[in-house]
Amino acid sequence: MVIWLFAAVVGFPGRSSESQLEDQRTLERIAAGDSGGLAALYDRHGRSVYSLALRILGDEGDAEEVAQDVFAQAWRRAGQYDVSRGTVAAWLLVMARTRAIDRFRARRVRPEGRVHEDDGLTLQQLPATNPDVASEMMAAERGQRVRRALEELPLLQRAAIELAYFEGLSQREIAERLEQPLGTVKTRMRLGLLKLRDALAEVRP
Amino acid sequence: MTPAHDDLKHDAAAYALGVLEPVERAAFEAHLAECAECTDDVRQLRMAAAALPHLVPQVSPPPSLRAHILGEVRGVESSDSAATGMKPVAQQRGLPAWLQIAALLVIGVGLFLYAQRMQARVSNLEARLAQAQAQVAIADRQTAEARTVALRAQSAMGVFAALDVARIDLAGQPVAQMARARALWSRQRGMVFTVSNLPPLPPGRVYQVWVVTAQAPVSAGLLTPDAQGGGSVYFETPVDILPPTAVAVTLEPAGGVPAPTGAMYLVGKPSPL
Repeated sequence: MVIWLFAAVVGFPGRSSESQLEDQRTLERIAAGDSGGLAALYDRHGRSVYSLALRILGDEGDAEEVAQDVFAQAWRRAGQYDVSRGTVAAWLLVMARTRAIDRFRARRVRPEGRVHEDDGLTLQQLPATNPDVASEMMAAERGQRVRRALEELPLLQRAAIELAYFEGLSQREIAERLEQPLGTVKTRMRLGLLKLRDALAEVRP
Repeated sequence: MTPAHDDLKHDAAAYALGVLEPVERAAFEAHLAECAECTDDVRQLRMAAAALPHLVPQVSPPPSLRAHILGEVRGVESSDSAATGMKPVAQQRGLPAWLQIAALLVIGVGLFLYAQRMQARVSNLEARLAQAQAQVAIADRQTAEARTVALRAQSAMGVFAALDVARIDLAGQPVAQMARARALWSRQRGMVFTVSNLPPLPPGRVYQVWVVTAQAPVSAGLLTPDAQGGGSVYFETPVDILPPTAVAVTLEPAGGVPAPTGAMYLVGKPSPL
């Protein structure tokens, strides 16, 4: 009980494959209509879902609405969760990212008056193909080393990655925003991600 | 190595981040089906992309959010059972009084026994709680540090996203002809300044970045270049600052000075966008 409380307060539950199994069992409970299962799912992932939405939208009210959407969706679609596409945590975070970016775009003034659906649909689903890596990120010390790796990326590499991930901009849009040739944006995005991957590989036990 | 591969391999990162436009994405996926090299590449890049959501500052949502989410679902649940004609137990009224009293007695005895068992565990739990609290304090401090770093970085990112961003390219002066720098200025979001090829610092000196306005130069921060003479500074724009007429870098005594005194190493004016 105390250990559980500790994990919940600190927010760094050790995301081992064990807690993935627990998440899967929780989804089964939810699929069977048990709202206690949703409470458990929220207690384990509410914070990270909310934090991601807040990072993308920068507004607490909007982030709350996105988190509500995500868990309502989890409640309706728990039965459709497919373990081959990634962990439950990744499934929730993908929903959070997609919804937050849609909302972010809808909020923006579109100078050319383009229809929202046009760019809303380009965001493809992003499966976490390596659940172990993503889960171990949560261990505080390792997370910090990878975070530092992101911060130490040259500004352009980091900007390209962050504009793509957190704003859902296409390579062309990023090139316009950063006033860089398209080819440069492509190579910087790649270099930056590869450096992050190296930092991840380093921190794997 | 087909020509398609040479064209498409550069899209792997955007694919892994989920931001290829539909046409590009279809072409890339078709290529993936027949290219082991790109498939492996995407796997590696996705590993990094999957880590990104875990790197954002972790913020606790307000407690009301939990109640709201669960309340919504429970609302659906009870209307569902009403629709199927199943009455929840709580809605069946009119138990005989003696049964209610007996039930209360059973509950009372149960609670008493439970309380006794709990008391025995309290001291044990208290000791463990104290330990947990100490760990929470450490973790809180780490989280606060991480958040500060992340917030600073996020503000710097905001400059790129600002609608009113202006670019200022700085040229190296005779003392540092190889040096180059660029500043991106936004009144709302601040200024990001990056420089390369600055000469190594003499001992006891530091470079200082200045935002020159019609009134007076304002210090935008101190800069100690890395081994390649590179570095960057993020400057939060004061509310009352006038638009910059130039950005400059001077050599100053360690610790910096309120107004520029030393030799000018770089200077540049805003270019219209």
